[in-house]
Amino acid sequence: MRITNDTPAGSSPEPFADLLRLQTDFQARLADETFRYLRRLHGTLAPGSPGTVVRPREGLLVEGAGPPGARLTIGVDIENVQRVHCVVSPQLTSLVGRSGTTWFPACEPPQQTLLVAPGRSERIAIVIPVPDALPPDEYRGAMLLQGFRDGAIAVRVVVGHAVPPATEPAPKPRPAKRPGSRRKAR
Amino acid sequence: MTPRTASDVRLLDAPDESRTTVTLLASLTGRLAALQVVTGSVAVGSMVAGFCALGRAASGTAEGARLRSAIAASRVGTNGAAIWKALRLDLWATSVPASPVLDQLRNDAGLLLADDVAESLSLLPVPSQPAGAFGGEDPWGERGAEFLDCLVGMWAYGHEVSALVEGLAAPTLPPPNAFHSPSAPPAPPSGVVLR
Repeated sequence: MRITNDTPAGSSPEPFADLLRLQTDFQARLADETFRYLRRLHGTLAPGSPGTVVRPREGLLVEGAGPPGARLTIGVDIENVQRVHCVVSPQLTSLVGRSGTTWFPACEPPQQTLLVAPGRSERIAIVIPVPDALPPDEYRGAMLLQGFRDGAIAVRVVVGHAVPPATEPAPKPRPAKRPGSRRKAR
Repeated sequence: MTPRTASDVRLLDAPDESRTTVTLLASLTGRLAALQVVTGSVAVGSMVAGFCALGRAASGTAEGARLRSAIAASRVGTNGAAIWKALRLDLWATSVPASPVLDQLRNDAGLLLADDVAESLSLLPVPSQPAGAFGGEDPWGERGAEFLDCLVGMWAYGHEVSALVEGLAAPTLPPPNAFHSPSAPPAPPSGVVLR
């Protein structure tokens, strides 16, 4: 390999510096990956904390519609099929319109937390005040149930002057079948 | 018999896991037992990492993102990030597995509300299952734990603690703004000795 002081066009001025940089990058990446592997291994062996998975109904889309200045209410029925109480904290993500407008909705109540007993179903309702100056559009986002591992609920809010207001869902807790209670009557 | 209406959303057990009183109790005892064999740095670091992981997730919501961007734009964000880096808190929080702080809080609350705690306690000691694949999940990716993650995570966790305790007390909580007026004045002492 010929090393000269002249730098040909399109090549690096210092080939050894490049080599050193590559080697350093490699070492840094190796250390990072090793670190990550050890962390994951450590986490695997830590005491388990059973969690909750969210399973939305197929094709579920939570919708609301109204003109600027309106107060929309969107809601979902949540059923706890686990055998112990569950805490539910619904949160909306930012909503993005077709025109690119990003809306950070100020929900009411801002931080809702609900205790759902095993085998029970509860209605979660979130009120979204639509800002007066929000451009009419179709906004899409998601409702996240904070802390749960998988699943989000798709949300669509149509803001427009000629759009009929969304129906107000009323809270209606209703008992559901308790899991594991399927016994045959003898 | 009318068919049961399907709920919009169902909350299920994660695969290979089950939230029952016994498993929640085992999880709690497992955590307490683990404290005996890990250093304080790992135990506290794991919780800090857990707050950071929660904060990163909470930053994806409208309220969390609003809070995060407000802090990031202020002196608090700059100073916090500088302290976080200078004291190598980023390395500390990123080097230990993130503890699922919200799951743990909710599981402990579920345990407090369970109707078969006494029976489950009689089964002790119950071996705790290791966290397994999910516990080994790495929340960081290319970006390690950051100061803003930690702050937003503590906000989300703090709110959850407050709401949860209020929720636990709600069924037996006296109404607000209550007052007690004295009923009939106590009867004066009487008896042969006082005559």
